[in-house]
Amino acid sequence: MPGGPGDLLRQVLQTGQCVSCGLCLDLCPYLQAAAERVVMIHHCGLEEGNCFRVCPRTPTDWEEMDRRVFGAPRADHVLGHYRQILFARATDPVVAAAGQYGGVVSALIIFALDGGKIRGAVLTAGAPGEMPQPALAVSPDEVLACAGSKYSAAPSLRALHEAARRGVEPVAVVGRPCQVLAVRKLQAVQGIEAHHLAGRKVALVVGLFCFWALEPGFHAFLRAVAGKARILKVDFSPESMLVRTDRGPLCKPVEEVRGFIRPACRECFDPTAEFADVAVGSTEYDEAWNTLVIRSKRGEALVRAALEAGAIEVRPYPPERLPALRAAVRSKKLRALEVQASRGESSYLLIPAGYRQALTGRDQR
Amino acid sequence: MSASGVRLDDPGRSVLLTGNEAVARGALEAGIAYASSYPGSPSAEVLEVLAALAEERGFYAEWSVNEKVALEGAAAASLAGLRSICIMKADGLNVALDTLTALSASGTKGGLVVVVADDPGAHSSVKEEDSRYLGKVAHLVILEPADPQEARDMTVAAFGLAEQLRAPVMLRCVTRVCHASGNVVLGTLPPKPAGRPHIGCQERYITHVAYHRIQEERLAQAREIGEGWPFNAYQGPPEPEILVITAGPGYLYAREAVEVLGLEGRVGILKLGMSWPLPEKFLLRHLKSASKVLFVEEVEPFHEENVGYLVACHLEEVFPLALYGKKSGHVAGPKGPGLGEIDVDTVIRALAALAGIPYEAQPGDYGREARELVKKIPRRELGFCAGCPHRASFWALKTAIALDGREVVVLGDIGCYTLGAGRSGHYLMQTVHAMGSGVGMASGLGKLERLGFSQPVVALVGDSTFYHAAVPALINARYNQSRFLLVVLDNGTTAMTGHQPHPGSGVTALGKRVPALSMEEVAGAFGIPVTVHDPYDVKGAVEALYRLLRQDGVRVLVLRRAYALLTARQEKKPRVYVDPKRCLGDACGCHRFCSRVFGCPANTWDAALGRAKIDETVCTGCGVCATLCPQGAIVVEEVTRNGA
Ligand SMILES: Cc1cc2nc3c(=O)[nH]c(=O)nc-3n(C[C@H](O)[C@H](O)[C@H](O)COP(=O)(O)OP(=O)(O)OC[C@H]3O[C@@H](n4cnc5c(N)ncnc54)[C@H](O)[C@@H]3O)c2cc1C
Ligand code: SF4
Ligand code: SF4
Repeated sequence: MPGGPGDLLRQVLQTGQCVSCGLCLDLCPYLQAAAERVVMIHHCGLEEGNCFRVCPRTPTDWEEMDRRVFGAPRADHVLGHYRQILFARATDPVVAAAGQYGGVVSALIIFALDGGKIRGAVLTAGAPGEMPQPALAVSPDEVLACAGSKYSAAPSLRALHEAARRGVEPVAVVGRPCQVLAVRKLQAVQGIEAHHLAGRKVALVVGLFCFWALEPGFHAFLRAVAGKARILKVDFSPESMLVRTDRGPLCKPVEEVRGFIRPACRECFDPTAEFADVAVGSTEYDEAWNTLVIRSKRGEALVRAALEAGAIEVRPYPPERLPALRAAVRSKKLRALEVQASRGESSYLLIPAGYRQALTGRDQR
Repeated sequence: MSASGVRLDDPGRSVLLTGNEAVARGALEAGIAYASSYPGSPSAEVLEVLAALAEERGFYAEWSVNEKVALEGAAAASLAGLRSICIMKADGLNVALDTLTALSASGTKGGLVVVVADDPGAHSSVKEEDSRYLGKVAHLVILEPADPQEARDMTVAAFGLAEQLRAPVMLRCVTRVCHASGNVVLGTLPPKPAGRPHIGCQERYITHVAYHRIQEERLAQAREIGEGWPFNAYQGPPEPEILVITAGPGYLYAREAVEVLGLEGRVGILKLGMSWPLPEKFLLRHLKSASKVLFVEEVEPFHEENVGYLVACHLEEVFPLALYGKKSGHVAGPKGPGLGEIDVDTVIRALAALAGIPYEAQPGDYGREARELVKKIPRRELGFCAGCPHRASFWALKTAIALDGREVVVLGDIGCYTLGAGRSGHYLMQTVHAMGSGVGMASGLGKLERLGFSQPVVALVGDSTFYHAAVPALINARYNQSRFLLVVLDNGTTAMTGHQPHPGSGVTALGKRVPALSMEEVAGAFGIPVTVHDPYDVKGAVEALYRLLRQDGVRVLVLRRAYALLTARQEKKPRVYVDPKRCLGDACGCHRFCSRVFGCPANTWDAALGRAKIDETVCTGCGVCATLCPQGAIVVEEVTRNGA
């Protein structure tokens, strides 16, 4: 499915489908972003371009992607490929405290850094209430500084190009599911010199669960909610937004932030980072733990090594909770298909017929 | 520009001078005490030469903030009894015109000569203007030299005439006189200006309608002087069939055309050294004997109209007589009659047609051959020089506007950044008028909010323009609570015309260091917030622009960076080169950003290698392209001060 900057402009940027993953930024001097809005400053004039190839919101061949990343078609159409689902958390209390929930993501990255498996990680920095920024972390301290979820669509993959430029390799990428897809598309690009190398230098992809990201206006809203108090952490439950501040907790119904949901996210078909090596989310009931989905062989090896080294601990995923997770993911996917159909334009969602059928039938598990 | 020939105290010697130098020489010989100018092509060198000689000749010279102030300064010297000269380009006369028309009414004392240089074809101007019309509006005597010798001679004569008439005299030069070189026989240099400048308590110089009569009387007096004036001359047979009426370089073209066509026996040339007022008796004498008149002049049909009127008034005496020139279409340069420059060919064609001689200017295959040759000349687009900070500024502005996402209106101005209206500036400028007008327009647009205008507005001016004409507009905007972002493209000098200093540069025309008057101080004093940023730091400049675009009220961003060619002359420049291993060539998504889009003349393409390349002889070492290359393939190698 070749295409160029003109197609990116028409299909993604002008239709509000950009998810601000950040991967196209710095591929060339023409794509730039301000306040999580990606714009094309100049049309380079090429018919085909890497911006179009790597964008997670240009048409994607899902079956091909399954084969590329996992070597087989998917068996589970709700959660995608996975080897195991667990509850997990960081064992180091400092990491656990810094993390959004159990700090598994930070713990795995620090573990990979310490063991020399990676030399840096593409992360997202920024204090709550401020605009998050792409970050290339090369030390455990820098990883910890990036802990915690920032709820807008930070274009963090921009830091991947910075890593290539600075010669920091190999790297891990921590990203939202759209960002995971973007990195996989980059890795699939054949025959391009250099970036390219950036794709080939990614040794580990850690995905986050993500049902939506918010427009950057959310950060100002958050500041207003907090007033003079210093915000320590933000979290969402299905019903409410919880803000922990130095003057005590604040709570707002989730309805108040719904208006900030990035329109592109309504069409997102992948809430659990299906193409990641491991995907991490909340447990939806125990703040001290994470849900950890081990997807690839590489992810499995990493988790095993981290367990052996005592960097994380795990416990079984409670079987009674699985249906709720599946139902949430399934309904998100179906909604995405609906929104896409109502828009009536071509999108990245070239969902194969088999995938659709499997979703619309009764969930067998 | 060279003062060495101009300063020679060697009367009778013939030296090679440009027209501009010759004007300066004439002014020296006339014993000027005061010279002022605002730099503009094609006459900028006149004051440059004068300033270089001011100390040794004991007079005052200055680069003024604008032409109006320049003229007022020179006029003041005149009122104090001194000889003074004020130099400007045609557009400058528009700025100074209010003062000039008033001076013509009030009268002056010491000889005041106003040199106005027209730029037919607008080689370095935004418009083509024939300043003789304005000279006429101002009731001034207008002299038109044809070559450097005449430029010197007429300048000297102009001072005498101005004193005789007690009014300013205008010397109209065109590019082909200003920049042409020719032998000039030098006259005597007077001793340093003597006499104490003084304005007597009974003297009055006041503009009043009552003086209109005096202006007309003065013109009548000048007309009489013109009848015997040696620069109004006729050459040719006593009873020519065709009379060429011409002035300026047109005279030289006409002479050559007559010679080429062998028409010496049939054609006479009447050269007007005084283009206004017309020496009517002199003209009529020759008009009576001719049956055809051809007008050869640049740009507009000024003589054609004025002599045409004279002919109409004396129809019986001159009948039968046919007039040819621009109106008849006979005198037409490549762009058409009354447009652009003319040349010898133009005149040959016109004369041949009138004389009924078949003439082919380009025999045989000449045309085709010429076209073939032209194809081989590398096309050189008008664009910013290598290392010019404006290129970086325009890229930053383009980026910031795209990031802003709204339909930002960009108002331009006059200066080398006017090139930003073209490819070099990514076609960003939407208006270009006169110096400072972008700011005035921004002030107006900023007030249209109540009528539903919500587009952000950016006005661009150069540093020199800021002082020249932006300040009143800025005061207007601030006082009337307008809203826009003024971006000053500050390269520290008046680069377009050869880097003359301005109030922000801290040096005067005489080379004296004085406290600079920074834009921050000026705008700051009006209560306008000013941000200063280096355009070479493109990323930072984009951030500053983006942030400021979102603010309200009047705000100023100075993108300041000394012009690279200036600094490169002063320091050893870093070596900048492309690492062919990192440049991806056509495999990169940038599609030759450096050479094709950013477009610095030093960024070239190595076709054999399929990689970008830097022409190190052109490169100034600014390193901006290195910060923009997505592959980091451009390397900047700092060179230490002491060589190596
Ligand atoms: C926008 C967003 C929406 C999410 N929605 C859900 C959800 O609906 N359900 C659910 O179970 N989990 C969701 N998560 C994931 C969850 O918030 C935690 O990030 C995840 O469980 C990992 O927890 P942790 O304790 O291991 O995190 P930590 O150890 O604190 O690590 C978090 C990592 O996330 C990265 N990060 C932070 N913000 C962003 C961002 N905006 N974009 C990309 N990377 C970022 C940081 O670099 C950091 O490395 C969401 C995350 C984000 C960023
Ligand atoms: S989704 Fe990513 S790759 Fe696509 S346009 Fe947006 S930032 Fe660029
Ligand atoms: S909901 Fe989907 S598209 Fe939006 S940020 Fe999350 S993963 Fe990206």
